[in-house]
Amino acid sequence: MNALSTTAPSLRSRLSRQFALQTKLGLSVACGAVYLVISLTLASRQDDTLLQKRATVQRLLNEAGEVHDIPGIKHLLSDFLTGHDDLSLVVNQQDGTAVFDKNDRSRPEAMTKRLAFEVRLPDELGGAGRAELIYDISKDESLLQRLWWTLLTAAVVGTFAVSATGFVLVKRGLAPLNALARRTSELDASRLDQRLDATGQPEEVQSLLLQFNALLDRLHAAYVQMEAFNADVAHELNNPLSILIGTCDVALRRPRSGPELHDTLASNLEELRRIAGIVADMLFLSHAERGVAARRSSPMSMADLAAEVIDYYEAVLEESGLRVEVRGDVRAAVDTGLVRRALSNLLGNATRYATLGSMIEVRISRIDPRHVSIGVHNCGEVIAGEHLPRLFDRFYRIDPSRTNANRNHGLGLAIVAAIARMHGGKATAESSDQGTYIGFTLEDVDTQGGSDISRGSAS
Amino acid sequence: MKILVVEDEVKAAAYLRKGLTEEGYQVEVAHSGVDGLHMASVNEYDLVILDWMLPGIDGMAVLSALRHTRSVPVLMLTARGQIEDRVRGLQGGADDYLVKPFAFSELVARIQVLLRRASGSRGDGETLLLRVADLEVDTVRRKATRAGQRLELTPKEFSLLILLLRRKGHVLSRTEIAAQVWDMNFDSETNVVEVAIRRLRSKLDQPFDRPLLHTVRGMGYVIEERP
Repeated sequence: MNALSTTAPSLRSRLSRQFALQTKLGLSVACGAVYLVISLTLASRQDDTLLQKRATVQRLLNEAGEVHDIPGIKHLLSDFLTGHDDLSLVVNQQDGTAVFDKNDRSRPEAMTKRLAFEVRLPDELGGAGRAELIYDISKDESLLQRLWWTLLTAAVVGTFAVSATGFVLVKRGLAPLNALARRTSELDASRLDQRLDATGQPEEVQSLLLQFNALLDRLHAAYVQMEAFNADVAHELNNPLSILIGTCDVALRRPRSGPELHDTLASNLEELRRIAGIVADMLFLSHAERGVAARRSSPMSMADLAAEVIDYYEAVLEESGLRVEVRGDVRAAVDTGLVRRALSNLLGNATRYATLGSMIEVRISRIDPRHVSIGVHNCGEVIAGEHLPRLFDRFYRIDPSRTNANRNHGLGLAIVAAIARMHGGKATAESSDQGTYIGFTLEDVDTQGGSDISRGSAS
Repeated sequence: MKILVVEDEVKAAAYLRKGLTEEGYQVEVAHSGVDGLHMASVNEYDLVILDWMLPGIDGMAVLSALRHTRSVPVLMLTARGQIEDRVRGLQGGADDYLVKPFAFSELVARIQVLLRRASGSRGDGETLLLRVADLEVDTVRRKATRAGQRLELTPKEFSLLILLLRRKGHVLSRTEIAAQVWDMNFDSETNVVEVAIRRLRSKLDQPFDRPLLHTVRGMGYVIEERP
């Protein structure tokens, strides 16, 4: 966690902080609403009381004018105020002379609410006058004040309480993550077969675990492949190297004649060329592996390209009595050098394994508007199904003790697959008693695929 | 003809010096980019062979510095077989490049082409009538005769014969033959060239007493008159 805090605040503290903030906000809104509603209710109740009392006072004075004298009216009003400690009344004549005054002047002005209105008075008092009702709201105010403090305390204490439990809850909720981190750190980099156990894990963590395990699977596969590849390379290079060391060693043991040494050197050169060939092909493959894309030229006829390669093999084909036919044609924008190389490898492969005197077919077609398929079909021994997908692996040989291993170091079809990948396609292989087809697909970046020509040309 | 070889690997520089001296060139060697640049600026050379990977300042830097003052032909040697590098090298002012490892005969051929181009002469590259011993080839009428007898050759066999004759006395590697005759610019795992040579030989040499087309083991093929 400490290591992470240098990059971003930890999940736990961030979640807790947000939790606290949320709580504070929520409680504040709730408490504020309660306070507001109650204070509004109190105010409207005070207004209602005042209006109600005004009506009573007006009624009393109206009726009293007929029957009572001034002391009688005063008495009546005193009676009215009895039991209403929080209410005071002042009645004045038109000229300002007080008729009735029951106001407690010690009350602070802020703690009162007043309502002034016209009243009728007996004729001897001028017939009309002004009255004022003074309502003492100090009780309500102190109630509001108590409410204010209660709510504030509740909000603060509540915020703290919820934050504290939130912190604990977040910690508990994130526990699987911590456990995951701990177990991940326990994985040994040198042991690629270890996996994380996903059973009993929460859903969110489980998907992460599965992803992580899938990543480990891929890494494992890549690592195993790389190991095998290294072993293969070492093995392939070991052969010519041991021959080189041996012949040099033998040549140097005794004095040799010029022609004899010449022979040794020539033989060595052959071996060295073989090593150089392997290295050059491996460099090409690693170059392709790094995701280098093909350099496409303008669209051209794939059949023409095939014809050039067939031309190259002419002598070899004739010697084996093989005929080649190009079936179909497609115009596609490809890296001509690379496709020529792939075709050459396929054709070379086919001439090696084709039955003497049989027909080899170069098949060219457009699979869909964006993909082109090119391949070579030959008659010959059936390749067992388990070998087919591995044909394109580096150094893969169906028969490890093949006689012409001297010339073919087993990278030809790997290069075909690499060239297909560089063109956004892939290599394919099929084999049955009808023959063996090995080919590849290419992604044609040129979209004007309407110009395909259909033709068959024998060579 | 004076050639400067800028190559930091002592063994490589030694065999280049030896081989090129035996080919009749005057060879001087620089083991670092700084030395090479200095020597190329001070002395006059007909050609500079420049290794790409040099300690201190690399071949590209040497080349661009050299191009400020000299227009001497430069042949770059690169260990990286990447097309990008080649393109960069040629854009940087190199006249040609060769990817390591290369056949020495290939190097000699490239040097000859560059020197010929620099001296402005077309050399024997464009000779219309090619001859060796009793073999005569008319490149215009595409007719080959030996001891007065017409040889029936396929177009590719004819191209192969012309290539070997134009470079008579020089050994051509299989790779170079594949590139020159069939435009196959990659090391092929096939024996195509061997078969083509065998078929050419059956028409060219078999009917006659003295063979002209020779196999040089481990290196390639050569046409020459041998006693």
